[in-house]
Amino acid sequence: MYAGCDLGSVTARVVIIEDDAIVSSETMPYKKLPVQAAVEAFEKALSSASLSQDRIDYCVATGFGKKAVPFANADSAEVVCLNRAFRLLHADVRTVIDVGGQSMRAINLSAKGKVLDSTVNEKCAAGTGRFIEVMAKALELPIEQVSALAFESKDPVSITSQCGVFAESEVITYVNGGRDRADIVAGIARSVAAKVSSLVRRISLEEKVAMVGGVALNAGVREYVEEDLGVKLTELEADPQVYGALGAALVAKEKHGA
Amino acid sequence: MIVAGCDVGSLSAEAVLLEDGAILGSEIILVRPTAEQSARDVMDKLLPRLGLSYDDVGFTVATGYGRETIPFADANLSEISCHAKGAHFLVPSIRTVIDVGGQDCKAIRVGTDGGVEDFVMNDKCAAGTGRSLELNSEALGVEVSELGPISLEAKEAIVITSQCSIFTELEIMHLLMEGRSTADIAAGINQAMSRRVKMLAGRVGTKKDVGITGGVSKNVGVVKMLEEMLSVEFVGFPEDPQIMGALGAALFAAEKAPQ
Repeated sequence: MYAGCDLGSVTARVVIIEDDAIVSSETMPYKKLPVQAAVEAFEKALSSASLSQDRIDYCVATGFGKKAVPFANADSAEVVCLNRAFRLLHADVRTVIDVGGQSMRAINLSAKGKVLDSTVNEKCAAGTGRFIEVMAKALELPIEQVSALAFESKDPVSITSQCGVFAESEVITYVNGGRDRADIVAGIARSVAAKVSSLVRRISLEEKVAMVGGVALNAGVREYVEEDLGVKLTELEADPQVYGALGAALVAKEKHGA
Repeated sequence: MIVAGCDVGSLSAEAVLLEDGAILGSEIILVRPTAEQSARDVMDKLLPRLGLSYDDVGFTVATGYGRETIPFADANLSEISCHAKGAHFLVPSIRTVIDVGGQDCKAIRVGTDGGVEDFVMNDKCAAGTGRSLELNSEALGVEVSELGPISLEAKEAIVITSQCSIFTELEIMHLLMEGRSTADIAAGINQAMSRRVKMLAGRVGTKKDVGITGGVSKNVGVVKMLEEMLSVEFVGFPEDPQIMGALGAALFAAEKAPQ
């Protein structure tokens, strides 16, 4: 059995696999230190499948904290792990968009399963999950609602600032001006999608296209991304948040076999 | 004739009254919900203090981000021109003005006549603006006004790796959890700020004399670090540098007023 741990910027995820099938998967948000969340996610993933740690033959870590995972035998780049996960679950996907809490990346995969090109933004919160969180807070809405409400909008507001700090002021101005929350939520989703789409345009847009990461849970963003890029996003086989960890587990299997 | 300059920015509003080329008085307030109200409130505070009313003011020039919505202004001009003008009036030898306001950061190269020769501005990203200092100090749990003095007690400036103000917030929280000292983090915040300003100012060159204005010029930590990074000593202004835009506007008002 193999384990993959994706230590992202807001959550830790652990996936345990046996014969390329997911046996157990856990996500743990950070309470204090990221490493603690990784350890807790690992323990929970083991116990929910009634496994002891010695059953795991090899573990690979990925994500922004990949070097800090104490129970991992090795670490691997996010792009490599995503490629492995897609080769297993969606071999026909050529463009992967991964939008997480504090970063977004776009990757081109070849038909033979090679990474052809990739680009990343980890410098600016615009378009990331953190951006949506800040806006949700300004709207005093739970983040899940920032997704669904977008579909109730008839007239999305226009958010002109790219910067999350300045966009927050714009959102507050709209709230104070009495704008319909659905219109503001739709405006936020559109702003995120615009940023995501412009990142994708830095590589080549080839179908099929899939979107993973926490932001892929946001249906409003997904719809605007489809509209901006003029493509239909592939239906996913697994939770959009586990692809990195699953890929890491698959890399673990390869490394251990080698 | 008495003339007025009124600068309505994103975080504060300033007014200056001039008579025959001399400053009668100035006032600074925090912004109100609308630019119009900010402009009225700052004038309503300044005028009675000097025993004056609106009728005594012959001409008013507005500047700053809210300048086009101020009903009692006779004209409006960009804050770039007003800053250069105000700074040159107070310090005629000035050739570079670095202005770090609430939501923007700019560097202006000033001609010998007080005109604008060149300028660069960042108003797209909060990094390097006063707003980022506000957010960072909030994450650190200190008042933004304390950030400068606290940073002077630092043993070392901790390098803040994120550029985005939203990300630095989390980084600061993590540093606090790791038990790093508030002073060292404060110095790191000021250092990150100074680096951003240096990068921007470098694009117009920092021809001497150099002056710094805007709210951030009140942060002694940033001022000291920037002086080291740019190898300059900022000129002192005989007035609060925050009023520079309003002062410039008032000087333009004196020129534009019908004699």
